Amino acid sequence: MDWRERITRAGELLHEFYRGRHRGALARERRQEDDLFMLLVFSEMMGIENPSSYYTLELLPLLYEGFHEWHIRMGMDHSPLEHFRCC
Amino acid sequence: MNSLPLEGHSILFVGGKGGVGKSTTAASLAVHLADSGEQILLVSTDPAHSLGDLFGTSVGDRKREIIPGLHALEIDPGQEVERYLARVKSAMRHYVQPAMYSEIERQIELTRHSPGSEEAALMDRVTSLMEEGATSHDRIIFDTAPTGHTLRLLALPEIMAAWTTGLLRSRDRSASLGKAVDRLRGREKASGDELAWFDDVKEEATDERTQKIQEVLLERQRRFSRARRLLLDPDTTAFILVLIPEKLPILESEKTLKVLKQHKVPVAGMVVNRTLPNNQALGEFLESRRSQESEYLQQIEKAFPKLPRVQIPLLSRDVQGIDALREVAQYLLIDR
Repeated sequence: MDWRERITRAGELLHEFYRGRHRGALARERRQEDDLFMLLVFSEMMGIENPSSYYTLELLPLLYEGFHEWHIRMGMDHSPLEHFRCC
Repeated sequence: MNSLPLEGHSILFVGGKGGVGKSTTAASLAVHLADSGEQILLVSTDPAHSLGDLFGTSVGDRKREIIPGLHALEIDPGQEVERYLARVKSAMRHYVQPAMYSEIERQIELTRHSPGSEEAALMDRVTSLMEEGATSHDRIIFDTAPTGHTLRLLALPEIMAAWTTGLLRSRDRSASLGKAVDRLRGREKASGDELAWFDDVKEEATDERTQKIQEVLLERQRRFSRARRLLLDPDTTAFILVLIPEKLPILESEKTLKVLKQHKVPVAGMVVNRTLPNNQALGEFLESRRSQESEYLQQIEKAFPKLPRVQIPLLSRDVQGIDALREVAQYLLIDR
């Protein structure tokens, strides 16, 4: 690899580095948004009054797979919901 | 101002304090309109149903013909909850691994008994009947539960529409962030993916799931906003307030009217029920009641000056059966 190639390569790496950080930031923001969504849907089970819990029950089958990762991320080793066992 | 303007209103709500004669009013209105050749669907939303007793026949959760042109049903929120839970269960089998069934079933069981469920189910049924009734019948008349209950039912679509809008907005933000991530990732794939370790976030939902969540929420929102549109349309919906000339029902009616106005539910008029007959000598006891009654009638006049009003006198016997309802109906003067 001559010095020209090295510089180009270094430039590419730098570029990737910043783009990667940017991507990571966006992905994290998206995850936060999804976590908030989970909280809104599951809030009734956590004792926060939620007028729509009956209507969001139909979302449960669609959200259940993400539930485990969610409660771990929220810093709760076990399912926070007394009557909603996960692990 | 002594007739109820109900021209073209296809959805009528009859409401008021407990025991003032809501069911009797709703039923005689229904009988009267059916007798004049309209196709009427009469629906009781009161958990303590009394249509069956009024008609002297059993009326259940399914439409039943009472007289030609008049169908009636008494909503059973319990059955509605069951139907809904069965739907959720069958959706579960598409999206959840069998190992997880039991947990979701537990949740479904809990919902069956949670306090808001029957109310939510009732609203579901009322909104679908409002839509369905508009096509199968000329009018649908709701005999409602005592005031508080009904006001909440009427306010619910608004609350729920706001809630689902919030949830949908959250999903939209998530989706557009996801797209931005994908775009960046796409470019990197082209130039080699050395820095993939920045992706500490896994895809959580498959596209199909994400889309399905969106669809479920959108369908909910559509239903809530359709119900709200129908409810607030003064050419379609009319609320009829029933009261008796006594202190507490008058006070409660004032509050009700205020809340209905606040939620912009159109009010067509009021029915003052069980006024003392004025062409008969009543004896000392009832004469003293009558003088009190006339004070209350004045109070009603003053409290609801703009509201069309009809009066139904106290009858010599209580109202039971179709003929008695027809007798009551002659006092319900209606502009149709």
